[in-house]
Amino acid sequence: MTASDPCFLSVAEAAALIAAKRLSPVELVHSYLARIERLDGALHAYVRVLPDEALAAARAAEAEIAAGHYRGPLHGIPIGLKDIYDTARVATEGGSKLCLGRVPASDGTTVRLLKQAGAILLGKLTTWEFAIGGTAFDTPFPPVRNPWNRERDPAGSSSGSGAAVAAGLCAMAMGSDTGGSIRWPAAWCGLAGLKPTYGRVSRAGIMPLSFSLDHAGPLVWTVEDAAIVLQVIAGYDQRDPGSVDRPVPDYRAALASPDLKGVRLAIPRAIFERDSSASEAMASAFEAAVEVLRGLGAAIAEIELPPLALYNATASLITRSEGFAIHEKTLRERPLDYGALARDRLTIGAYVRASDMVQAMRRRLMLVEATNAAMEGFDAMLLPTCPDPPAVLGELGPYFDNRRPMYMRPFNLTGQPALSLCNGFEDTGLPLSLQIVGRHFDEATVLRIGHAYERATPWRERRPPL
Amino acid sequence: MADSIEDRFAVETELLGLKLLPGQEATLRAAYAALRDAIALVGADYGFEAEPAHVFVPTPGKARGP
Repeated sequence: MTASDPCFLSVAEAAALIAAKRLSPVELVHSYLARIERLDGALHAYVRVLPDEALAAARAAEAEIAAGHYRGPLHGIPIGLKDIYDTARVATEGGSKLCLGRVPASDGTTVRLLKQAGAILLGKLTTWEFAIGGTAFDTPFPPVRNPWNRERDPAGSSSGSGAAVAAGLCAMAMGSDTGGSIRWPAAWCGLAGLKPTYGRVSRAGIMPLSFSLDHAGPLVWTVEDAAIVLQVIAGYDQRDPGSVDRPVPDYRAALASPDLKGVRLAIPRAIFERDSSASEAMASAFEAAVEVLRGLGAAIAEIELPPLALYNATASLITRSEGFAIHEKTLRERPLDYGALARDRLTIGAYVRASDMVQAMRRRLMLVEATNAAMEGFDAMLLPTCPDPPAVLGELGPYFDNRRPMYMRPFNLTGQPALSLCNGFEDTGLPLSLQIVGRHFDEATVLRIGHAYERATPWRERRPPL
Repeated sequence: MADSIEDRFAVETELLGLKLLPGQEATLRAAYAALRDAIALVGADYGFEAEPAHVFVPTPGKARGP
């Protein structure tokens, strides 16, 4: 990829050129298809590429824009979808042998909104089996490779989404996040990944894993791109029982402020120093990021949250129970059609008693209240996204999160918006990541902080060496 | 009453009617031990009136439904 390659453009940059009729959506789709053809054989980000459909949609977009009917900044933008997002007449298989040949009749809500905004679907992206199975070698879909180093894991479960955006194989990809599955691959692939507030973005038409912890959101090259996508997909949907009817602000307008004067940021330092210590590289990148944010005018102080293990244990019981409830019938009838990791991770939910689940939901409410109380007087929290840079592919192990607990699940439990973004690279060139956690429904502030940080740092100038 | 984690795992597996595949027992037993730790950490000593979080809605919105 060269600096002039259109696959190098952020969504915002491509949109500006398309709106000015200086970039053809058809040419853009051709560029992405050629790049996918050249690179994806080694990366495995896509499970299904849709060249004919994408080119037809691009021609339609081009004609519409030429006729003066520009729909907005996703019009003509090529995207990918994690293969748990239902797509009308296009197979959606959830990374599992159990769903091979499953073709939904209709689009999920977010897919419909993205298409209405003019986005062009390039294809479906690899997912961990049912968004839980881990980096598996025994499913019909080979594990995704990290574009920054193909011997490394891109993380999951939105592994194809992370790798595709990082490698320039689509401009934006949708993922899902039950315990970090947007933010973690964003972190390990050097991207921005946004988990919006629970209830902000519809999950209707997305395969569920854990009803009360699942979130949908974008993986993108820049924070500005996350704002653009959120603008399109945010809003109430009566098809999603968790959806909340709240006004949707102008997210991109929130990015206009040149500094962070008046913004109050909290650091829950014990989480990543006492409870699960961040690696030296991740910790030093975090401290450097804090200084950048301070330099932009933010006021920064430390707070104390409940122990990380308590959040993670509570979330674990809920995920196990809800996941088993969804999969019990097929686990009993067709266990051999699951990969071993998904089968084990789902089956263990059978051992959670009903009363254990109720206690977890009691604890959950306490943790939400404790987190809200700790954040009183602050606009957002800062912490690393995860303790370590990308692991060697295949070496995560089935219980990696017990050995090295990560810092994302607390905010699935509380439902707060959380953004991960690149805050540097370790010496080997692997990406590092910062997490910004906001108050409920205040994605605008989270995006503002992330965008200001991104503009003040050089990390968006580097792309994977492909 | 089963005392050890291994015994409890075996008893509960039978009660649940789960037919484990070859090799699955060892990995699930390890996961079961971690699960028991999580259950212990979450605890069961809550006040009588302690309400659980229901389907999580962080801030009241307008009435939901059609």
